[in-house]
Amino acid sequence: MNSFHFGGTRHRAQREPGSDRVRVDATLVSVQQDGPNRFVAPLDGRSERLHAVADGDQVWVHWRGRAWALQRIDATRSSAAGAAEAAGTAHAPMPGVVVSLLVATGQAVAEGDALLVIESMKLQTTIAAAAAGVVIELPFAVGQTFQRGAVLARLEPTEAS
Amino acid sequence: MTPIRKLFIANRAEIALRIVRTARRLGIATVVPWHAADRHGPALHEADEKIQLFGEPPVAAFLDIAAIVHAARDSGCDAVHPGYGFLSENAAFAGAVAEAGLVFVGPSAQVIERMGDKIRARRFAVEQGVPVTPAADEADDPAGFAERARAVGFPLLVKGAAGGGGKGMQIVRVASRLAEAIDVARRESERYFGDGRLFAERYVERPRHIEVQVFGDAQGNVIHLGERECSIQRRFQKLIEETPAPGLDPGLRERICSAAVTLAKASGYVNAGTVECIVSPEGEFFFLEMNTRLQVEHPVTEMVTGLDLVEWQLRVACGEPLSLTQEQVRWHGHAIEARLLAEDADAGFVPDTGRVRLLRWPQGPALRIDGGVIEGAPVTADFDSMLAKLVAHGATRDLAVSRLRQALEETVLLGVTVNADYLGRVLRHPAFARGDTDTGFLERHRDTLLPAPLSDEERRLLLAVAARALPDPAARAAPQPYAAMGAWRN
Repeated sequence: MNSFHFGGTRHRAQREPGSDRVRVDATLVSVQQDGPNRFVAPLDGRSERLHAVADGDQVWVHWRGRAWALQRIDATRSSAAGAAEAAGTAHAPMPGVVVSLLVATGQAVAEGDALLVIESMKLQTTIAAAAAGVVIELPFAVGQTFQRGAVLARLEPTEAS
Repeated sequence: MTPIRKLFIANRAEIALRIVRTARRLGIATVVPWHAADRHGPALHEADEKIQLFGEPPVAAFLDIAAIVHAARDSGCDAVHPGYGFLSENAAFAGAVAEAGLVFVGPSAQVIERMGDKIRARRFAVEQGVPVTPAADEADDPAGFAERARAVGFPLLVKGAAGGGGKGMQIVRVASRLAEAIDVARRESERYFGDGRLFAERYVERPRHIEVQVFGDAQGNVIHLGERECSIQRRFQKLIEETPAPGLDPGLRERICSAAVTLAKASGYVNAGTVECIVSPEGEFFFLEMNTRLQVEHPVTEMVTGLDLVEWQLRVACGEPLSLTQEQVRWHGHAIEARLLAEDADAGFVPDTGRVRLLRWPQGPALRIDGGVIEGAPVTADFDSMLAKLVAHGATRDLAVSRLRQALEETVLLGVTVNADYLGRVLRHPAFARGDTDTGFLERHRDTLLPAPLSDEERRLLLAVAARALPDPAARAAPQPYAAMGAWRN
């Protein structure tokens, strides 16, 4: 079962086996593929042309000059493991450079503790621990640049008592 | 006259490719540098040779004067084109290139020094009778500063002489607030820059940014190729540029262009340059600065004049005179350029990174795409976020604008967020269509430049297409030739 995060909401979108139709939540939508990455679908009596490409956990869709990245939700990963992963990893909200590291690996931190300071577009941002834990990895040294979504710190979450 | 046989292009991305194309047409071999963090540039496939540069961060490699001059000599080049950005306005670089016995495609180090420094260029403009914003420098006569500032007129901008970036700046609209503004500006200036000296200049409200393309040759000829309007800016960076400037009074246009030529001629200017001005709603114009290089937005001038500015740069650098006199320059129709950037314009213009997963450039009459990325290329934070320039031409402004709008709509670049749709919204804005533009345009119209919300039906359409774009699990079991076709079937 395919699910997507799109505009803050979770949706199911599943292709009907052996047909051009996709069941989106409770509605059937007809989509024809007319070339690599090219799709045609009716909307308000018009034939709409779209482009789409899958990229890891994302699917990018282009329509009428606009592009959207729909986040795919991996059904094979249990929600508990996903939550622990989320709590234990600090991702970069935007590309930038590490200004200072405020903790060291092996150090225990509490929820909300400042881990490091990054700078993007001349704007400094403090990255804080989403949950209590022990710092197990700081992949970037001071002065190193990183891309959006890069892991800036990895924590081993402390077991909730 | 020394003909150029092999050209080193000290740049990357779209401008490197653009220069390679002209050089090849003229029978000049090209060498383009690359860095390990940037091995997907389209120029690398088109140039005759490529040479690796080293350095961290990667941008430093393109700023390393000694390494670049060495690379140019090592690869047997006899000339260096700096492009724009990087070392293009660095007098020391121009000097080092010349000292190495190579031709620098641009003005001499002396001219870059004279015109590239803002304060010096401003003083030079005053000497030549070119208008600058009326100003008072405290250093000239500290005791009389307040009186001289009052004499400049209002609205008045009071700022730290050592300052920049908007800090310590006070806008004064009436004389009664001047004393207080001077106090505040001095305190802030001392705090931010450790220097309380002040500078006051006339504050031009709702200014238009208008610039003039000038060209000089070694024989002393200087001409202009018309103006460009570049008022659509965010964070002082241009997003949309066009020529001619919409609604500019022909008399004012003539005065601005001839002032630019006067300035260039007096400075002994050789090669391509741009004189930047601001124009007030009342039709006053003031010299801002001179860019001693090729501009990002030069294609709009090429579209209306039919000239190749890089060809002129190379010919002038060899000592050839300009091929046209001022009277022979002709302008046809209207041209407009939009800069395609890897950024989320609706989230405050934050840059985005990723990998280009799908790329389809638009096509059509009177359309020019200067692209700096190819499908599969990573887009990183190591370099500028500009991925391409889309330029459209038309007999009228409306035609050029609507062609560019269509081109932006048909540009499919997926895998990294780009500003194509935002640029389209600017072009569709009624105030833009009227030519009612100034440098505050994007800020003032922020609310009416937001994207339209999607209906439920539209959301379902996108979700359905996303589901169809996922790899089909059934296809994995399919025999090889069919699997290679992906999910697509005839």
